[in-house]
Amino acid sequence: MAAVGGGGLQGYVLGRLLLAVPVLFGVSLLVFAVMHLAPGDPAAIMLGAQATREDVERLHRELGLDRPLPVQYARWLGRVGQGDLGRSIPLGREVLPEVLTRFRATLILTGGALLVALVIGVPAGIVSATRQYSWLDRLSMGIAVTGVSLPVFWTGIMLIIVFSLTLRWLPSAGMFSPYGGDFADLLWHLVLPAITLGTASAAALARMTRSSVLEIVRQDFVRSARAKGLAERAVVGRHVLKNAVNPVVTVLGIQVGTLLGGAILTETVFSWPGLGSMMVRAIQARDYPLVQGGVLLIATTFVGVNLLVDLLYAVFDPRIRYE
Amino acid sequence: MLIRRLAALALLVAFCLVTGAAAAPPKDAMVVGLLAEPVTMDPPQITDLNSARITKRIFEGLVAQELGSYKLVPGLAQSWEISKDGLTYTFKLRPNVTFHDGTPFNAEAVRFCFERQLNDKSPYYATGTYPYVKSFLGNIASVEVVDPLTLQIKLKAQLAPFLQYLAHQSLFVYSPEALKKWGKDIVKRPVGTGPFKLDAWEPGVKVVLVRNDGYWGGAPKVRQAIYVPIIEAQARLAAIKTGEIDLTMDVPPDSLDDLRKDPNVVVAESNSSAAWYIALNTRHPILKDKRVRQALNYAVNKDAIIRDILKGTAIVSRGPLSPVYGPYHEESVQKYPYDLEKAKALLKDAGYPGGFELTFLVPESGSGMQSPVEMATVIQANLATVGVKAKIQTLEWGAYLKKYLEAPDMAEMSWNPSIGDPDHMMYMLLSSDRFPPAFNAGFYQNDKVDDLLRKGRTTVDEKARVPLYREAQKVIVEDAPWIFVDHGKQVIIYRKRVQGFKLHPNFDLVLTQVWLQ
Repeated sequence: MAAVGGGGLQGYVLGRLLLAVPVLFGVSLLVFAVMHLAPGDPAAIMLGAQATREDVERLHRELGLDRPLPVQYARWLGRVGQGDLGRSIPLGREVLPEVLTRFRATLILTGGALLVALVIGVPAGIVSATRQYSWLDRLSMGIAVTGVSLPVFWTGIMLIIVFSLTLRWLPSAGMFSPYGGDFADLLWHLVLPAITLGTASAAALARMTRSSVLEIVRQDFVRSARAKGLAERAVVGRHVLKNAVNPVVTVLGIQVGTLLGGAILTETVFSWPGLGSMMVRAIQARDYPLVQGGVLLIATTFVGVNLLVDLLYAVFDPRIRYE
Repeated sequence: MLIRRLAALALLVAFCLVTGAAAAPPKDAMVVGLLAEPVTMDPPQITDLNSARITKRIFEGLVAQELGSYKLVPGLAQSWEISKDGLTYTFKLRPNVTFHDGTPFNAEAVRFCFERQLNDKSPYYATGTYPYVKSFLGNIASVEVVDPLTLQIKLKAQLAPFLQYLAHQSLFVYSPEALKKWGKDIVKRPVGTGPFKLDAWEPGVKVVLVRNDGYWGGAPKVRQAIYVPIIEAQARLAAIKTGEIDLTMDVPPDSLDDLRKDPNVVVAESNSSAAWYIALNTRHPILKDKRVRQALNYAVNKDAIIRDILKGTAIVSRGPLSPVYGPYHEESVQKYPYDLEKAKALLKDAGYPGGFELTFLVPESGSGMQSPVEMATVIQANLATVGVKAKIQTLEWGAYLKKYLEAPDMAEMSWNPSIGDPDHMMYMLLSSDRFPPAFNAGFYQNDKVDDLLRKGRTTVDEKARVPLYREAQKVIVEDAPWIFVDHGKQVIIYRKRVQGFKLHPNFDLVLTQVWLQ
């Protein structure tokens, strides 16, 4: 599945990294085009009703928006090549440190959601598979279908109404308490957003785990394992799971992308200070440098995660070799 | 294995709940939940309300507004004189005032701040982009330092609202030394003279201000003001009800009745200067007839919109100026109550007994737009009863603003002026000097109105000004260039422990006089 020239693992990784260059180039072109061709004007949005024609024109000139689009793109790309993502239009801050700070918060949220997905999804899938057609199987798959179908913003607001407003167990917004907080405070704030974001992925994982385990359970070596008198727990734990794990890892990799995307809405609902909530604001303000920088960062992460997933196959399945 | 893992998770969650459960809030720190975090803290670059609500605690202008009204009172200038020809303003500055970085405030500092924006050859011009330099400083001919505490500003032409401009953040004064030190990064390093100074800004998380113990007006009673962004209305509601935050705004209108009954919170309401209207294209072949525009005004049931959609958080609009403008507000204008018979009669007179079709531009959301889609739906149904078929076209805010200035038939707009002067509402939106790309989107033109509004701009004496604006309102309302819908109230919700809070008409949240119980 992964025969890329000689040179073993190093060569494979290098090849994949080289392949990432045209991908990222394409992404940069796409996001630039989409942002600049979309109707709307950052200067007009900033100025609002008190704008004068002179003020709008002067802002355009100072922001370089009066140049032809290809020139603007070339200048931006040239700077990006030197590691300079420019300055946000309304914020006036450098884009790179800004998106990196925000990205950390997004990674915490995505990590939390992934944990929720794993802790709920994988056990649910195993239980469903090993007790196929039992009430437990039907129940968990029923919940899974519901989970996949729930829109993130709805789940989020419902959780706020139940757990923040009514029960008052958990905070409704932010990553830390206003007066400052420690790690425990962070976890406390993470619970609702992570569940909101992780639910759909948990459901997808559960379904994948179930079908993957079911396929393995029916194979001969599992029958042999049972025949030699191994306890069911050992059969599933040692033999079945090991072989069922690769499709699950694939889904997990895809879920990271879904989570990064879903984080945008979750972050907005819970005012999580991540890249997603920032991007929503930046898109509304037509903050070109910030949106472009943010999308490039997300695309780079996605390429990285995909590579990581491919490398993980070899860890879980010794038959796969990258050479 | 599974059960053990689940048990571990449950333990973890329980641990978080116990340790994280909010302790009692500190007695001298208050938390404000804003709709979004500030964009920038460099006064001349601010264009949004969230940034203004924070930075107005840090910076001051030469002139200030009295809390609760638009009345001008001394700020960093103790007094001022206006020359007979209305062109020279001489300010006596407050002595012994220092910026938060310890450098002195004086006439040179004011000149430096204005010069930064005005002079594109200034070495500090490139430290920012100044959205309002033409609108608010464009009329300044020169800024001169007479002595360290005397400043003279000469204008190119008489401009009545100029003193009000000096109370706007784009003409606030900041430490020149700080700007020289930080350059473009001044956007996150605010150094002013105000009652609070910046302690920390964690992007997306919070802004912490601490009181300025050396404030010339006396140190505030609250030691810390913490601002957190809470984007979702439902989350703001939860946070204020549980006491996570002390003060917030824009909760779901449905929840207001419940909040008013809550013994732990106060719902403070007051009229604002905002206007919510539908601009009608006065060059449209049908809408150019005044009778048609009046008919549309009669056909819209504003009371029902305010009662059912806005849940009472607005008052009916009878013209461009809300009652907040005091003497400038004209009550005896033509009224447009909900009257279908009158609307039908006017349409018949105008030659459209069977109605006609229009495109109705509506934003999905937007600054001050209240509930734009729901309101549009009701208005559409209202107009249908008199035979006017309004086809709603919904757009995202950024795209909407562009379309709005491209001569739509009819389009929603809301305007919450940052300057407390009638000029800023009426001249900005209804003078023929302000056709698109400025904001007179309906191309309304009436020579008499133009004349009155231009005179109003240049008449410095308030007694002579008031009748000009009152007369202009009468003409405008009769001409009906807009469907006048409502003036939104500002609704601020705060915990009972917050004492001394008072609403300000331009939506500012002043904390200097606030204390905590």
